[in-house]
Amino acid sequence: MSQSLEELQEFHWMMDMLQSVDVGIVVLDRNCNIQIWNGFMESHSGLLPSDVRDKSLFELFPHIDQNWFKQKTKPVFELKSRAFLTWEQRPYLFKFANYRPITGSESFMYQNITLSPLVSATGKVDFISMMIYDMTDVAVGKKQLESLQVLMSEAQERSQRS
Amino acid sequence: MYSVLVCDDSLVARKQVAKCLPQDWEVSVHFAKNGEEAMGLLNQGKGDLLLLDLNMPIMDGYQTLEAIKQANLSTKTVVISGDIQPEAHQRVTSLGAIDFIRKPVDPQTLHSVLTKHNVLASEKEEEVEEASLHPDVRDCYQEITNIAMGQAGDHLARIMNVFVRLPIPNVNLIEVSELHMMLSDIESHEQVSAVCQGFIGPGISGEALCILSDSSFDDVAKILDVKGAVDDQLQLELLMDAASILIGTCLTGLANQMDVNFSQGHPIVLGQHRAITEIISMNKIKWKRTLAIELSYGLEGYNVQCDLILLFTEDSMEMMNKKLSHLLEDFE
Repeated sequence: MSQSLEELQEFHWMMDMLQSVDVGIVVLDRNCNIQIWNGFMESHSGLLPSDVRDKSLFELFPHIDQNWFKQKTKPVFELKSRAFLTWEQRPYLFKFANYRPITGSESFMYQNITLSPLVSATGKVDFISMMIYDMTDVAVGKKQLESLQVLMSEAQERSQRS
Repeated sequence: MYSVLVCDDSLVARKQVAKCLPQDWEVSVHFAKNGEEAMGLLNQGKGDLLLLDLNMPIMDGYQTLEAIKQANLSTKTVVISGDIQPEAHQRVTSLGAIDFIRKPVDPQTLHSVLTKHNVLASEKEEEVEEASLHPDVRDCYQEITNIAMGQAGDHLARIMNVFVRLPIPNVNLIEVSELHMMLSDIESHEQVSAVCQGFIGPGISGEALCILSDSSFDDVAKILDVKGAVDDQLQLELLMDAASILIGTCLTGLANQMDVNFSQGHPIVLGQHRAITEIISMNKIKWKRTLAIELSYGLEGYNVQCDLILLFTEDSMEMMNKKLSHLLEDFE
């Protein structure tokens, strides 16, 4: 009895952790209907878990290209392998505002996405998890570095010519 | 915010004119090298007041005045020129310039011209109206901050075992330029370090800024019972500790009262960052004003000064007012 209570408590704080972690977590079924999402997604989208439960991802976020996204999830369901989308490929999947609306230099959040299979007890993959990482600071840093490099090579060329 | 455009082909002259602007006049100053550049900026709305030279390449002062007339812009133009012939004065006035100042310009002359044409006075009146917050709303924000701050102070007092002097929260709508000034102040005074952290909840987002004066570090180290020399690394450590306690508890307190949950991003160290003054200018700014709640904490018996500034985006206020409607109704 006390063991099951302990397990229940463990489950409780585990859920608390998933809810508050600063990474977006979404569980999708085969038709890309949202099963659940955590506090990060709730805060940034303004939609409660109850608002999105069993709703299609593409209905809630019409700007996501359905065919493209399904293509990405296919190997996750079929091959049980992970799939990754980086901000360099597409700056974002969900159009969220920058985490720092006042001092941030970009208006939206750059995102890295990881899709990973959730294998059920029967060994099948009926659901996948999607994790959304905020990559804005990295992206901004890289863009600044690149623009500096361009400036420098321009200055170099100019000094060589003269 | 009121903007001033200085148009002159000489860099020295542009700088000289900009220096002569009244010191306490809060304006954004833009520069143009000739009439063509000036027109481009004026069309973007950058120049409620234009300080214009006459002899310039590409497009001179006369042509610029004509172009302004044709485009029907509301810009007030004061000509500042070395060409002091009576005819020049007449011609620019007939083209719509409100006054003529001979070069080199000095602060007194410019000030008296600006006062004469009500440029200074009218601008100030406008700004007061624009940036004001409804007293009831301000009161309400102040009250919830008071409560949240009390909780934050209590946590701080328990953890550090000190008595916290609670400040009166200062609630204001501030403009981009004022924040810019505040941030560059942080940079210019070497004796402060700052941490900034974004937070977001449904419909409400903003940033928390925690600023600790460097002279406080020794005492903070004492309070947190840190042994050893207080070097840069340790200072950062202390700053982060103080910031997470203050920001965390204050935000939790506010969130509880508004019945929302905030997610918090990773804190960013601002003070050690070279680009701090560029932060705002780099920003392709979409916001004009921000709701700022300033709190200044002191610890009794210690030389510790710590400022916490909560900045909310202007559009967050709608949701905040909705969430606080039960408090706001009481005022009616």
